[in-house]
Amino acid sequence: MLIIVTILVLLMIVSAIAALIFKDLISAVIAACIVSLIAAVLFYFLQAPDVAMAEAAIGAALVTGIFVIAVKRTKRFEE
Amino acid sequence: MHIFGVIITGIGALFLFIGSLGVFRMPDVYNRVQAGTKCTTLGSFLTIIGVGIMQPEWFWKTLIIVVFVLISNPVSSHALGRASRKSGISLCDKSIVDKTKEFKGYQE
Amino acid sequence: MRKLFVILLLLIIAGGITLSLKEIPFGIPKTKIGDHFINKGVEETGSVNIVTSVVVGYRGFDTLGEITVLFAATIGLGAVIGTFRKNSVNREVEAASLIVYTGCRFLFPVILLVGTYIFIHGHLTPGGGFQGGAIIASAFLLMYLGCSNKRIKENLSKTVEMIGGLTFIAVGIIGLAIGQDFLFNFLPKGEPAELLSAGIIPIVYIAIGLKVGSELAGIIDNLIQKS
Repeated sequence: MLIIVTILVLLMIVSAIAALIFKDLISAVIAACIVSLIAAVLFYFLQAPDVAMAEAAIGAALVTGIFVIAVKRTKRFEE
Repeated sequence: MHIFGVIITGIGALFLFIGSLGVFRMPDVYNRVQAGTKCTTLGSFLTIIGVGIMQPEWFWKTLIIVVFVLISNPVSSHALGRASRKSGISLCDKSIVDKTKEFKGYQE
Repeated sequence: MRKLFVILLLLIIAGGITLSLKEIPFGIPKTKIGDHFINKGVEETGSVNIVTSVVVGYRGFDTLGEITVLFAATIGLGAVIGTFRKNSVNREVEAASLIVYTGCRFLFPVILLVGTYIFIHGHLTPGGGFQGGAIIASAFLLMYLGCSNKRIKENLSKTVEMIGGLTFIAVGIIGLAIGQDFLFNFLPKGEPAELLSAGIIPIVYIAIGLKVGSELAGIIDNLIQKS
């Protein structure tokens, strides 16, 4: 059990760093969505199903959708 | 009954692994979408049904979840393939036939 | 040079948080009020889900504050986006294909049903008003992306949001009018683990679910229509 949690936390850190490094903003939004998804799974491991459901519904679905709409209205590539 | 459920869950996990291997090795966007969708839909189906067999009181709930996954996964892969063809990503060099060139609106 | 300084600062903060949280054992309540909620929560409020009994029962006034903050954010977004009227060139968006159109129309009532199930059973299973409202809003997002010629009627979403907010405040004021506190539990508590139990908690959660769902759907509608 500890090794699964360690792998998930490392994946979360790598994906968060990747969200800063990417120049294509759509890829950065997808990396932020992966951080929210792994956070929802970790909340389930810590025995808090209400928070996991709220994080999955809001963080992974609605916030990603709003970010993609916002990127579409401005420019797509940074710099 | 319990052993049967364990075997089905194991086969489902094997299909999920084969699907991720296919996404990694395929040369083209369209091949990757095909490999990803078919293998992960079947893998999710077998894994969730296997869990439903291991605990028989959850079986009808898992059946409802599986029907939802079976409907929504192919629709999203169809939208993905069509959108990437319309935004101009061409097929890989080894492909032979491209039937979408006959329709207007699909530029190179 | 600045990047090195930032990385060092982040490492110090991460190390400090890890070392201080390592001392707390997982799952043992360290405060007396946590013990009181776990031991006496079911018989005092009547709902089996203890998180719900804290959010609506013991700390119901803070939930009113949360709803007010969400309402203020929605109004602010509508005020800012609504002023960009010179950019409303109606670009012709290409319609989705038949498969995506039919799939979205098929899945939309199913997702609404799941969201409604989650906020009606808020006092029995994990879930509640905010989670159910977010699922309802994501159903409307699916409809906007798949079928691009269907829109919510604006008066309907405003009416639903108004009814949700007013129901919550009316239930609280009835508690004040009897002679007890605001948001006092005046309905009979019933048996635990039944659908009609726990006093005013199902009513409050239905009001919160409808309000949050229509608010977030209104945000999505505002963002898509003005582009």
